[in-house]
Amino acid sequence: MKSLRLSLLTACLALSALRAQAPPEDLAKRVDALSRELERMKGELSARPASDTVLGGYGEIQFSHFSKDGSRDTADLRRFVLALTHRFDDRTELVTELEVEHAVSSSDDKGEVEIEQAYIQHRLSPTWSLRGGLFLVPAGLLNERHEPTAFYGVERNAVETAIIPSTWREGGLQVVGSFENGIVLQAGVSTGFDFSKWDAASTEGAESPLGAVHQELSGARSHDLAAFAAVNWRGVPGLLLGGSWFHAKGAQGQPDMPAMAATLWDVHARWTPGPFDLSAVYARGTVADTAAFNQTRVGNPTLVPSRFEGWFGQAAWHAWSSGSYALAPFVRYESVNTAAAFEALAPASLTPAPAPSERIWTAGFNFNLNPHVVLKADLRRFRNDTAQNRVNLGLGWAF
Amino acid sequence: MSARTRNLCLLPGAGLALALALACGSAVKPADAGGLSPAASLGEQIFKDTSLSASGLQSCATCHVAEAAHGADNDLPAQLGGPAMNLQGTRQSPSIRYLAGNTAFHYDSEGTPTGGFFWDGRAESLAAQAGGPFLNPVEMAMPSKAAVVAKLAAAPYAASFRAVYGDAIFSDPEQAYRCMTLALQQYQREDAEFQPFSSKYDAFLRGSVRLSDAEARGLALFNDPRKGNCAACHPSSGDQPLFTDFTYDVLGVPRNPALSANADPEFFDLGLGARADIDRPDLYGAFKVPSLRNVALRRVLFHNGRFTSLKDAVTFYVQRDTNPEKYYPVAPDGTVMKFDDLPSKYHGNVNVTEVPYNRLPGQAPALTDAEVDDVVAFLKTLTDGYTR
Repeated sequence: MKSLRLSLLTACLALSALRAQAPPEDLAKRVDALSRELERMKGELSARPASDTVLGGYGEIQFSHFSKDGSRDTADLRRFVLALTHRFDDRTELVTELEVEHAVSSSDDKGEVEIEQAYIQHRLSPTWSLRGGLFLVPAGLLNERHEPTAFYGVERNAVETAIIPSTWREGGLQVVGSFENGIVLQAGVSTGFDFSKWDAASTEGAESPLGAVHQELSGARSHDLAAFAAVNWRGVPGLLLGGSWFHAKGAQGQPDMPAMAATLWDVHARWTPGPFDLSAVYARGTVADTAAFNQTRVGNPTLVPSRFEGWFGQAAWHAWSSGSYALAPFVRYESVNTAAAFEALAPASLTPAPAPSERIWTAGFNFNLNPHVVLKADLRRFRNDTAQNRVNLGLGWAF
Repeated sequence: MSARTRNLCLLPGAGLALALALACGSAVKPADAGGLSPAASLGEQIFKDTSLSASGLQSCATCHVAEAAHGADNDLPAQLGGPAMNLQGTRQSPSIRYLAGNTAFHYDSEGTPTGGFFWDGRAESLAAQAGGPFLNPVEMAMPSKAAVVAKLAAAPYAASFRAVYGDAIFSDPEQAYRCMTLALQQYQREDAEFQPFSSKYDAFLRGSVRLSDAEARGLALFNDPRKGNCAACHPSSGDQPLFTDFTYDVLGVPRNPALSANADPEFFDLGLGARADIDRPDLYGAFKVPSLRNVALRRVLFHNGRFTSLKDAVTFYVQRDTNPEKYYPVAPDGTVMKFDDLPSKYHGNVNVTEVPYNRLPGQAPALTDAEVDDVVAFLKTLTDGYTR
């Protein structure tokens, strides 16, 4: 920041000096050149935050009415997040997010206080940067950008909750390359999974297989590191095409544990022609060596699947706006299966049957008071587990 | 009860253990390479010394036989003891293996009684448990701690005892008795015989052997919360599972007429309710959930030794409520007098909600006869000393 201001001052002084000494015709050209430089620097300055330290945040409040069983109705402050970024210099910054879930966090409440991001980003060149610390895994459309103003519907979609466990973060190091042709590459190594956390007696693994075993850099076992990569292309205005891959062993050096290598990949697309906003994600996960692991847990309700997958398609329409108000109805169809296949056990009769895919219709709207505050309403219909059918109302903000 | 309060409740026990450890500090010298520490070695000699009983015939090892997984090796519902070895206790001698991971008795965050040693958890540590039988009139029946210490001073290993605990140790019988119990505790902690983890199931968890189809089916039934649901109290997963969660349950085990004490119709063993320090009538009739490791070596099962075969015991779990007439007296009018080993005012304590007890007469048991056989086949994999 100081160097930019110094350059600006130097340019102004040079301009004054030129006006005083140079011949008139040269002077005009050089004044033009300096004026352009001045404008460029002014633009650069105005694009930067007023302070090196910036406070941001987001939050979500939700009311849900379950149509089959009103006793399950809930109102909840699902998350309240404070984000603090600090720019140490032109090339190095700190990015953090501190989150409180469910309004109250104590030994008697279900709330959690968690660090969602805490990493240093250092720009090596205009194209390449390094990130180190606790960062969000680049996967799908939502995981890295999950503020309520960034997605449609009161709740995050099921694919990017159950298959890609949002909000999924790991500790590690990644390199980020942003090319002029619109390609962004991300790749690195990070902490991975700990399958010894798998509780076959609970339903947690059936809700999100990888969500049950990721470690969130909280005393994470780190004997087996993960490798990941993602590519996103924004070369055509309004179009995003991308995909990601994450691979990690889950034994973490613990005795008597099979390697349990887990792989998750996805492809995703978003296209915003005119007032429309169309998006789709397909995500698929596999786990190796599940038979040896499951064989010691047979009979329990939730064994480790060898495959889980899901996809959704979503269409939104920016139907109306007036001043800062904007209304966008949307509809989304999802198919999710957290236990699509199991490796065979011995005897074969003990092999769990694959779970049926859950199919969910969601329709509703986002109503923005301004770009930072959104009111939401939607209706969700589940084909199999109809007890989940509900109407959601939500209030969200992000800044 | 708050977590803070609970912790404070544990402090007296912890403080006593610490005081004992300090007073008998030399008892915890490290073991020699490949062997027992001097204290543990002493503990082994004490464990096997019949001279420390009134009869001169009974040692710890008499009722906790190594070959029977440190439990009783006969089919008596309770062992005989006393000065003439003709008095019978009221509870069967449990296996004392795999107790090193147990804790002192406490109530967990949900108020569930947990931990403790003996069937009713009244002893807070292995050492406290070890000190009990010497003075129990129907067991080793010694008249006092001083009497035990006097015999200890005359034992062949007395010089070793003095070498470990000090030349003057026998001049303070109370202190000598405490050190004796710590030596017994140290023996149980150090000797691999008390936690060998050498069963077929351990080999299976290590991935070095497969279970037979029947054993694997039995494990699935054991774990399945809709079938056996055994793992709800006898966890089978994790790193070297102990097959007990160290909690307590009221099972309504039928009265055992073979137990001498039951000749008196007014006698009822209330388990936790027999303890003077527990005033929770809702827990009367509750006994500790034992480890199922080596359960196939048991000649009698449950606290009162009511069942003498593993198959009968497993069948009782699933047929107690569907076929109660098999287990309880039937009145002339055909009424089955369930839970006959518990006063009627405590019948409400019996677990009738969890699988497999949540059934009624006429309904199918949670396990078929063939499935019971599978569970028994699995339970036999928990016997230590497996070799291919």
